[in-house]
Amino acid sequence: MSATYSTKKILVKRSYQFLALILIILAGGLMVIPKHQQHEGITPELFVKNMISTERYISTDILADRIVNQDPVLLLIDTRTTEEFEKYTLPNAINIPLSQILNKELNPYLNQDIYDVILFSTDNFTADEAWLIGNRMGYERLYVLEGGLNAWFQTIIEPKLPEETMSREAFELYSFRKAAGKYFGVANDTLEIEPEIKKISPPKKVVTKPKKKKKMPEGGC
Amino acid sequence: MGPLIPNELIPPEWNFVLAILIGIAFGYIMEASGFSSSRKLVGVFYGYDFAVLKVFFTATIVALIGLHYMDYLNWIDLTQLFVQPTYLWAAIVGGFIMGIGFLAGGFCPGTSLCAVGIGKIDGIVFTLGLFIGILIFSESFTWLQPLYEKHNLGHVTLDETLGVSPYLIIFIFTLIAILAFYLSDSIRNRVKKVFY
Repeated sequence: MSATYSTKKILVKRSYQFLALILIILAGGLMVIPKHQQHEGITPELFVKNMISTERYISTDILADRIVNQDPVLLLIDTRTTEEFEKYTLPNAINIPLSQILNKELNPYLNQDIYDVILFSTDNFTADEAWLIGNRMGYERLYVLEGGLNAWFQTIIEPKLPEETMSREAFELYSFRKAAGKYFGVANDTLEIEPEIKKISPPKKVVTKPKKKKKMPEGGC
Repeated sequence: MGPLIPNELIPPEWNFVLAILIGIAFGYIMEASGFSSSRKLVGVFYGYDFAVLKVFFTATIVALIGLHYMDYLNWIDLTQLFVQPTYLWAAIVGGFIMGIGFLAGGFCPGTSLCAVGIGKIDGIVFTLGLFIGILIFSESFTWLQPLYEKHNLGHVTLDETLGVSPYLIIFIFTLIAILAFYLSDSIRNRVKKVFY
């Protein structure tokens, strides 16, 4: 009983020393605790949320429209290999192959908030992988061309003629795609040659002019 | 997880409600600790009462250590917290003026409002002076602007500037605080006691 009392007395008397000691232990503890790997970039929860969302996709029609209108905030990045890039790519695109996506020298192209970066590849898989890495790192304004260059060819370069029963919008879209295709310099443009319709000119009406009757000389001087 | 409002764990509409609640709690605790008395505040300068120094230093240390443990446990993201930009000359001149005001008036802006709350005349006069000061500053801002914006060091922190671990700074800061508590106690024991 007396031992507990004396302990209490010491605790009360030296309470400030104990509090100071606790602060020192806690502050020192921060220096001793093992360093742990903190999440770089966005949190896993947000990453999964972004991954499921389809907001990152941009359609070929919207992209074509933005290129034609010379959108100043558009930056196209081809994520295919350099060989593929040299064979064909979109106008003004730059090549950052997927293997180089974490290259620090190329980082300013991806980690910025001025341009809308459109990543594309043959289909959208490689571009999607590049987007996943970029999004995990917390890069903003990254988009993926839906369907990649395959979709680009199917819609902009060689658009399908809508069926006659389709809506007016489908025809308008088709004519937009044809016009965009011409803008992107489609050489073998399959122009539909309209069959020449021979204009049948209506038979000329022969208007018979009534012969002027010779007037008989009237009178005379 | 945290900060709770920027990460939308609490809707941003609650911002002001929480600010009012925290403000009420802060004011209540300050008044309950006797900080609405100008004599207690100037006690730091005359050496008979160091409660202000102890309370604010302890609060800083507890918040500092607590936040870093919370960051370690991923409860809060310290990078999302706002760091006030450092305007070097404005801070030096402003600190000097505020020090004089603190010593002469016996209040800092927060405690003066506490004193107004309990109807202290000196607190009311101090607060009126505070508003006159704000008015003078606002009206002469164009003239003071070069000084105000001079030497903007940006959102700097000690650990980044010195290139050392923040934990080391916390540890040193804790030792300084405890040393300050010890020295302040020894000064208080030597100074003649003042009853108020």
